[in-house]
Amino acid sequence: MARIEQRRRFIQRALAGTAVAALGGYYFLSDDLTRAARAESRKDGRPRLPPGQRVLSKLRPMGGEPSDTPPSRYRVKIYGEVEAPFELTLAELAELSTEHSVDVHCVTGWSVLGARVKGVPLAKLAERAKPRTKARHVIFEAAHGYTSNVPIAEALRPNVLLAQRLEGQALPRAHGGPLRAVVPDLYFWKSAKWLEGVRFVEHDEPGYWETRGYHNHADPWREERYG
Amino acid sequence: MATTITPTPGAKSATADAARARKKLPLRPWLRALHRDVGYLAVGFTVIYAVSGLSVNHIADLGDPSFKDVNRTHQLARPRDTSTEAVTRAVLAQLGIDVRPSDVYRASDTELDITLTEEHRLHVDLARGTIQEEAREPRFFLRLANWLHLNRGKKAWTYLADGYAVFLLFLAASGLFMIPGRKGLLGRGGLFVAAGVLVPVLYVVLSGGP
Repeated sequence: MARIEQRRRFIQRALAGTAVAALGGYYFLSDDLTRAARAESRKDGRPRLPPGQRVLSKLRPMGGEPSDTPPSRYRVKIYGEVEAPFELTLAELAELSTEHSVDVHCVTGWSVLGARVKGVPLAKLAERAKPRTKARHVIFEAAHGYTSNVPIAEALRPNVLLAQRLEGQALPRAHGGPLRAVVPDLYFWKSAKWLEGVRFVEHDEPGYWETRGYHNHADPWREERYG
Repeated sequence: MATTITPTPGAKSATADAARARKKLPLRPWLRALHRDVGYLAVGFTVIYAVSGLSVNHIADLGDPSFKDVNRTHQLARPRDTSTEAVTRAVLAQLGIDVRPSDVYRASDTELDITLTEEHRLHVDLARGTIQEEAREPRFFLRLANWLHLNRGKKAWTYLADGYAVFLLFLAASGLFMIPGRKGLLGRGGLFVAAGVLVPVLYVVLSGGP
């Protein structure tokens, strides 16, 4: 009988401990950065922090297979349905780069707000490449066959960048260095790391994650996580 | 001479008790002993598979758990000669690196990228006087645990891992019967077993499955 009593006490305490740990976890998740961000709005009226996201202070490396092309041979191609395709070296890109502050949102639930990124707006490169009127989508092409697709109207927004620097330093390899796309208004998998090409296309071509169950469009404010 | 044996009171129930005792005796003590010993043998394997499993489960958050990405910033002892070769020599000497770079790229007048290996790169910023060192270093235990868990080595580990899986099945099965409890599997034990089976089944049903 005494053993049964002991067991009951043990189970009660274990359940109480679990509840306390769960509540602690909830408190931890609703941290100060996230609470502050939830109170802010963007110029377009949308909340600064999309639903289901919490704020981290810096980017988290999310894996992938880095490029093994050495910087001296690295080129990015701007091509496809354009009148004047061209290639750029990293040095040529660096000359065109300007600094931007961007918010990024990962589909796994974290966001980084106000990251300092130096890069070239894709719209600026598109001005030189002159996309044909039939071009409707942009395919970001990365090392080892990774791709992501973005509608052309969203890809040519002024905040979409080809970025080489993060927080004043060379973009770390774990975050896509030497060159990655940054598409702030879509979930971060669209921002292809180790970027090797930007291809303008007439017909949409769902990319690596889009063909593996993730949403084709990926708007964080609509929580377009899965297809 | 005919003999009559008169049954003594209580003799029948004594025989039945003895039979029950015989039935009870062999299985549970053996199960408990085996469960304990197999449990001892499984400790090392379980630690490896559990720790590796947790890290691989969160690969999307943590990146490759077998390695950690190191990013150090060093102050650059600015060389007088700012030619690519001179800066490269000075940087390698300052950091005590005795490796011939596989690639050196002058990104601009003030920036130089030195690739030592695919996993080890230096970004030199002459304007700011900094060297940003990027490297990927193995995590000793996790790398080994993941190597074993993902059976990258193949060979004999395949059979050892199969053996461990059989041990786990035995631990699960023997755990059902080693302590009888008041109601056996009809009591709390049955509820817990049903919950353990239902959780994955419900998950598949509710998530839509593969």
